[in-house]
Amino acid sequence: MDQIDKLAADVPLLPAATRDAAPARTRRWHIAVFLAPALLVYTALMIVPLADTLRLSLFRSVEHAPVFVGLDNFRVLLTDPRWSLHFWAAFRHNLYFFAFHILLQNPVGIALAALLSLPRLRGQAFYRTAFFLPTMLSFVIVGFTWKLILSPLWGVAPALLGSVGLRGWFHPWLGQEATALTTLALISVWQYVGIPMMLIYAAMLAIPGELIEAAELDGITGFAQFRKIKLPLIWPTVGICSILTFVGNFNAFDLIYTINGANAGPNFATDLLGTFLFRTFFGNQLQLGDPNMGATIATMMFLIILAGVAAYLFGIQTRMRRYAL
Amino acid sequence: MGSLALSAIRKSFGAVDVLKGVDLDVAAGEFVVFVGPSGCGKSTLLRIIAGLDEQSAGDVRIDGRLMNGVPPARRGIAMVFQSYALYPHLTVAKNMSLALSQEGVAAADIRRRVETASALLRLDALLDRRPAELSGGQRQRVAIGRAIVRQPSLFLFDEPLSNLDAALRVGTRIEIAKLHRQLGATMVYVTHDQVEAMTLADRIVVMHGGVVEQVGRPLELYARPANLFVAGFIGSPTMNFIGGDAAARASAATIGVRPEHLVVAREGAWTGAVSHAERLGADTMLYVDVPNVDVLGAGMLTTRILGDIDYDVGDRVGLTPQEGKVYRFDGGGNSIAA
Ligand SMILES: Nc1ncnc2c1ncn2[C@@H]1O[C@H](COP(=O)(O)OP(=O)(O)O)[C@@H](O)[C@H]1O
Ligand SMILES: [Mg+2]
Repeated sequence: MDQIDKLAADVPLLPAATRDAAPARTRRWHIAVFLAPALLVYTALMIVPLADTLRLSLFRSVEHAPVFVGLDNFRVLLTDPRWSLHFWAAFRHNLYFFAFHILLQNPVGIALAALLSLPRLRGQAFYRTAFFLPTMLSFVIVGFTWKLILSPLWGVAPALLGSVGLRGWFHPWLGQEATALTTLALISVWQYVGIPMMLIYAAMLAIPGELIEAAELDGITGFAQFRKIKLPLIWPTVGICSILTFVGNFNAFDLIYTINGANAGPNFATDLLGTFLFRTFFGNQLQLGDPNMGATIATMMFLIILAGVAAYLFGIQTRMRRYAL
Repeated sequence: MGSLALSAIRKSFGAVDVLKGVDLDVAAGEFVVFVGPSGCGKSTLLRIIAGLDEQSAGDVRIDGRLMNGVPPARRGIAMVFQSYALYPHLTVAKNMSLALSQEGVAAADIRRRVETASALLRLDALLDRRPAELSGGQRQRVAIGRAIVRQPSLFLFDEPLSNLDAALRVGTRIEIAKLHRQLGATMVYVTHDQVEAMTLADRIVVMHGGVVEQVGRPLELYARPANLFVAGFIGSPTMNFIGGDAAARASAATIGVRPEHLVVAREGAWTGAVSHAERLGADTMLYVDVPNVDVLGAGMLTTRILGDIDYDVGDRVGLTPQEGKVYRFDGGGNSIAA
C-alpha cells in the first residue's frame, strides 16, 4: 500500500522534472532579475549600514585617526564603570520595559480581541478603530499628548482627579524616578496594544464557526470556551506578537526621547539602550559624540535582539503547534 | 427517551423565509432523515433543534419539554457536523471526553465511556492522535464517538458523509445504521442524498423550499409520492414525467413512470430511438428519444433494465409502462389517488 502511494506520488513528477531541466537554465536569469531590485535596496539600506556599524565598533578614534582596537570597545562598554554603569542600567530598564509589555500588552490585547469577536457585540467596528487608533498616531503626538495630560503644571490629570475628589492621588509620575519608567511603559502599551489586538482578533476570526458550535453543544461556553478552545488555537499568534514586542522594545527610543528627552530623565531613570546609543553616538549637551562607542552599543543591541529572536525561533516556536483549522 | 416534536417552526433571515412552518413528530428511538435539495432549509431546521439558531416562530419540544431558548448543551442532544468540527489541539481521547469533564463527570466514568465508544467505533489505536493525524473516515468516527460518549437521547447528524469518498460513505452508512440499532437512541439525520435517506431512515421527511413535502416510510414515499416533487426526488434514476395527450388519456395533467417500470420490447406504447446507453453490468440504462411523446424535462424517456442488454445507439425500441405502475398528477402537481 505504501509503495503504491509512493509510486502514485513519484510517477507524474519524473517526466515533469526531466522536461523542466532544459528551460530551467534560461529561467534562472528571470529569478536573478526579479530579485535584483529588492536585493539592491536591502543591501544598500540594511546590510551595508549593519556591516559598517560592526566595522566601526572595532575601531577607536585617536587624534582624529581611526585605530583598530579589536574587541576593546566591548570590554570598555561592559566593564569600565564610566560606560558599564550606564549600559547595564539601560539594559535593566529595557528588560523591565519588555517584561511590562509582555505581562500587560499581551493579556490586554487578547482580552480586547476576545471581546471584539463576541458575536453579539454592537459597535464592533467603532471599538476596533478606537483601540487601534493610537497605533497609527505619530509617537510625537502620543508623547506630547501624554505630557499634556500628566504635566503637574498645565496637565489635565490633576484637575480631572480633583473633580472626583482624588486630587491627592496625583503625582508627577513622569518626573519621579520611581514611577517614570513604569509610566512610559504604560503609555507605550496604550499606544501599541492595537497590534496584538488586531493580530489575535484575526486569529480568532479564523476559528471555524462549527468548531465553536461544537463547543457550545459540548457545554463549553463563555470563559471555559475561551480558555479551552480559543486560547490554545491563538497561542502561535500570541508568540508572534511577543517577538514583535521584544524587537520593538529593545529598539525603543522615540517615545522616551519625545517625553523625557535624550537624557532620559529624571536622572537617567528612563534610559533605554536606544537613548543611551543616541547620546553616545550623536553626543548630547556637554557629552561629545563618539561614533565608535555608539557603534559598539548598536552592535550589542543587535546581538541582544538576535539572541532573543533566535531563542524564540528555536526554543519556543518549534514547540508551539499551529493547528490546521 | 428522545422524542422530538416540532410545531409550526418558521425561520427568516432578514426578509428571506427559509422555513415556512414545519410540523413534525419523531417518536423515541426513531431514525428520521431530512432529505431535500441543497438550500431547502434542512441544516437550518437541524440547527434550530440543536439550539444553535433560534426559530423565528414555533415550538421545539424534546421529550415533551419545551426547548425554546434552552442552550444547546442542556437539550440532551449531540450533533455531528459535516466538517467534523473536531478540536484540532486535542487528542482523540480528549476530543471525546471534553464535554464530560466540563460536566464534572467522575474521571473513572469518563474513561469507561470513552473506552466503550472507542471500542464501538474501532478508535482504540487512535486515542492519542490529534485530528490532523487522522484520515477523513477516522475523523468522522471520532466526531460520532464524541457524540456517543455524552449518551444523548437525541442524535443530530448534518450531512456526516458528504466529505467521504464513495466507498467509505457506504461503509460508514452501514456503521451508522448499526449504531442506531445498538444504542436505540433517536436520530435525526440530514442529507441531500436520497440513497442515504432510503437506506437509513425509518421515516423520511422530504423538504423543498422550506416546507415539508411529505413524511413517510422509505418505500411508502417510493410507492405513493404525494406530489411531483417527491416523485422526482425519490428514486434513481428519476421518474419520467409525461404530459400532453398521454397524460390526458389517463385523465391527469402529468403522468409519471419510473425507469424500472418501463418494459422494453420491439413494439410498445411509445417508440423511439436509443440516444444513449449506460451499461453497468447489473443493469442497463437506456435513454430513448420519443418524438411523439411530450416528455417533460430532458425530453427523453429513461428506462432501467436488469442485466446487461446489448442495445446500440440508434436502435429502435418500444417502451410500455407496467400495469398499475403509472403515477398520475393533477394540474397542481399533487398525486391523484388510483
Ligand atoms: N445565517 C444565515 N443568514 C442568511 N441566510 C441563511 C443563513 N443560513 C442559511 N441561510 C439560507 O437559508 C437557506 C437554507 O439553508 P440551509 O438550511 O443551510 O440549507 P440546506 O442545509 O438544506 O442545504 C439557504 O438559502 C441559505 O442561503
Ligand atoms: Mg446543509
